[in-house]
Amino acid sequence: MEAVNTYLLSVTLASLLVNFAISLYAMFFKPHYVKKVIALTILGDTVNTFAIYIGYRRWVEQRPPRVPVLTDLRPEAIEEFKNLAVDPLPQALVLTAIVIGLAVILFLVFLGWILYSHYRTLDMREIKRLKG
Amino acid sequence: MNLETLSLNLLGLLTPFLVILAFITPLLSKLLKSSRRAPFIIALIGGVYAAMASTVVFCYEITSRSPLIYTYGGWPPHFGIVYEIDLFNGLLGFLVAWIMLAIILYSSWYSKRLDDASWYFTLLLGLTAGVLGCLYTGDAFNFFVMLEVLSISTYGLVAYLRNRAEAVEATAKYALIGAVATTMYFLALVIIYSGYGTVNMAYLAGLSSAEFVVKEPSLRYLSLLAVSLALWTFTFKSAIFPSHFWLVDANPEAPHPVSVALSGLVESVGIYAAGRFLYTIFRPNGVLAVYHSVILIVLVTLGAISGVVCALMMLNQRDIKRLLAYSSISHTGIVYMGLFAGFLVNNSAVEAAITGAIVHAVSHVIAKTALFMSSGLFIETSGSRDLDDMRGVGRAHPLALVATVISTLSLIGLVPFIGFYSKLLIILGYISAGFVIVPILVIAITALSVPGYMKILSSVAFGIPAKEYKRPSGETWVEVLILLIALSLLVLGVIFWYIMPIFQDTTSSLISGAGDYINSALERIPEELRSLMRGVS
Repeated sequence: MEAVNTYLLSVTLASLLVNFAISLYAMFFKPHYVKKVIALTILGDTVNTFAIYIGYRRWVEQRPPRVPVLTDLRPEAIEEFKNLAVDPLPQALVLTAIVIGLAVILFLVFLGWILYSHYRTLDMREIKRLKG
Repeated sequence: MNLETLSLNLLGLLTPFLVILAFITPLLSKLLKSSRRAPFIIALIGGVYAAMASTVVFCYEITSRSPLIYTYGGWPPHFGIVYEIDLFNGLLGFLVAWIMLAIILYSSWYSKRLDDASWYFTLLLGLTAGVLGCLYTGDAFNFFVMLEVLSISTYGLVAYLRNRAEAVEATAKYALIGAVATTMYFLALVIIYSGYGTVNMAYLAGLSSAEFVVKEPSLRYLSLLAVSLALWTFTFKSAIFPSHFWLVDANPEAPHPVSVALSGLVESVGIYAAGRFLYTIFRPNGVLAVYHSVILIVLVTLGAISGVVCALMMLNQRDIKRLLAYSSISHTGIVYMGLFAGFLVNNSAVEAAITGAIVHAVSHVIAKTALFMSSGLFIETSGSRDLDDMRGVGRAHPLALVATVISTLSLIGLVPFIGFYSKLLIILGYISAGFVIVPILVIAITALSVPGYMKILSSVAFGIPAKEYKRPSGETWVEVLILLIALSLLVLGVIFWYIMPIFQDTTSSLISGAGDYINSALERIPEELRSLMRGVS
């Protein structure tokens, strides 16, 4: 079980790194506005998943990590909670980050709509009426 | 009620009050259809409240000199969100809140040109909440949230004139990269959390200089990675060289009051955050060890590059607001050169340079406020942003013209104005450490930017009007407002030797006040928890 756990965690981390690289590449080198917005969502999701990954716990003595809800307040139950529960704080942070990301993506999508109505294209190479 | 209770109460209500006002603005303006002034009056209430609260907090900081902590919901630091204010963010918050009040007043003049001003004032209140939240918060994650509030408000404000294709284009370029930048800050935060297990700034500061951490190489590289990612975000927000492009696009296209906010307030937030991260949280002899000096030298170099390059770019600009945007970047470069002098070995030199940088940040924000506001007046009267078409327009607005001249002279750094002392202190600091290249660069940047300012003056003030500009009636109060802002530069310059101790104390609260910053957070923790945590750290 330990080996499988380690393997799966490594695969997750590796795919997060690949996703991160791909989204940054697409963000800066893909010319189309919608593709940039898609890259931004991938970037945001990658970072969010990374936060969850940071809060995750490895299996301890063949036992899977448990949900961070503490209802039983006996000392031994608290001790077990301390050893086994995943970290709830990254999940709370991610929840906030997802809501904020939603607002930004919505704004960018509507901005793209207005951009299209002005330029009749969303290719950023052709949208260059500014001097800079 | 004593000053401490009063400032705590005002501070705790500040951000929630502003956000609530922002959300009720559209609703109220729908209900009160007959009154076109309603959104402005709501925003004015918010602005006056913010100015009052930040003034009281700043007064408390000046008299008590110990960090002020507001705990949201009564949760002690590290378990809940706290606002922690020392002189550094107290001073910047005081400045920013008053500038914001001026922007709201100026918006009352500007918003007559908008069809429906209620969304404009909603976003402006959101921006106020974001900027003050960023400055006052003592929690790195809350800083991220407030940074996003600030960013989304500025995206909306820059794109406010959405019938202009250029405004939408500038926003698209700004918002796409801005969203990546804030995501990078979130990534940095996750990395920091994985290493230290906290996102509270005071706790991070305490842990990052604890002995067992300093000797741990893995934590050193982890912190280095996180600081590099976070600093990219901060240099983006303060528009320093590799990521300065958004300001020069966004500034000309934004509504005039928003240009003031972009190059005054948003840049201040970037400067503040970079200073806080490098002097309070990750300290010179903390976990970053030798890399700390490397980071500071890189930042000073970036500041120097943006200072020189953007001073040169000012020369071939025709658009007045684009020229002023380049000037903003150049001055922020000078602030960076002074603020990150921490790599020098001579302590008094570091203090002088950082004091100079703080004074320069203040004087630049005030001068840019007056300049952007008066350029807004000139643009509306002449109907063009092109300096060639604006010849002699200043004659229609004599008071605003005087303000333009005063703030230009202060930016160049002439004697009775405060802009002189800030550059002087930066130069003196570096010279007393025997580091001559930075003073030469500061003087070179000043010299290179003089022709750019002269372009504005020669066109607006001394040019011969091509046509008769008609002066709109009933707008003298706007000019008086701008003149008052510009005159404050002169007043601050004249009394500079009396107010210099405040800036010096601000500097010492930044570079040697980290102990106070940490301790006053730890004092808020119940005793039984504290003994437990002593065992941990």
